[in-house]
Amino acid sequence: MTGVKTKATDRFTEVFGTKAGTVYQSDREGCWYIDFAGKLVKFDYRTLLLLKKSIYRVDIEQLLLDSSKSPEIEMVFICACNHCYFLNLLQIIALKELLEGTFAMLELNQILHDRLSRMVI
Amino acid sequence: MKDIMRIKCLLSADIEMLLNQQIKKEAHSSAMYLAMASWCNQNGFDYSSDYFFKQSGEEREHQLKLFKYVLDMGGRAISPDVNGIKQEYTTFREVFEDALDAEVAITQSFKNIAAACMKEQDFVTFEFLNWFMKEQREEEYKARRALELFEVIGEEGTGRWEIDKHVNKIKYDSETAGA
Repeated sequence: MTGVKTKATDRFTEVFGTKAGTVYQSDREGCWYIDFAGKLVKFDYRTLLLLKKSIYRVDIEQLLLDSSKSPEIEMVFICACNHCYFLNLLQIIALKELLEGTFAMLELNQILHDRLSRMVI
Repeated sequence: MKDIMRIKCLLSADIEMLLNQQIKKEAHSSAMYLAMASWCNQNGFDYSSDYFFKQSGEEREHQLKLFKYVLDMGGRAISPDVNGIKQEYTTFREVFEDALDAEVAITQSFKNIAAACMKEQDFVTFEFLNWFMKEQREEEYKARRALELFEVIGEEGTGRWEIDKHVNKIKYDSETAGA
């Protein structure tokens, strides 16, 4: 996986990264690659938004306060995507942080495009 | 770095969410009018029943118009769950009071979406909403006029029978209707 990642990242632009993972964008393929929890997974526009929705709706506070002895593992499965994540609570927090940063950067990228290259004078 | 988000979809996440909420509201209105048509029919108010059947169809058309717009712009249109539809009414008048309340709420909801569009300068969606704004003028007018029949005609004697006969004749055709 490391070899694949190194080779692949040459063609990618890093969108956002934390200690736990990194999100890359491939302009040529029009998609994103998320390097997280030991794997590099490809997401297109629709599946990236579905991943965001799945992660954002996890009630972290409720999981923290949960005193039952159930395992703190959440399965994140995205329809139309061949991968799924099995994440513990800390990983969910880390992935959420990674996605929040990613979407902030994508929004910033859109603002820059609007201001710099989509100016209509 | 390409702006893939914008290339794929014209709508922002916030506007897409608001439009999906509106799709749900229109679906709810359509189901509500259908329940009203049923109640009126069961209680012998045939003309009002026809009026509400027609209204239900119109709301469904509004829902689909919004639904297709979201898809056309590259967004994710969500087929809504509709539940909690009121099936029973205490009086004939209550049906029309609820209808007007619902239309006022729908107008308010469109105003909120338009305000959000203005705020983020989504003039494309703002222009699309104009059709609905105009439609709401007619919807509110008809609902208000129908309720006013209860004052003008009165419910005593054969009043409700008269009201029922007139409901289906309400038309928004004043000078401002086409403007």
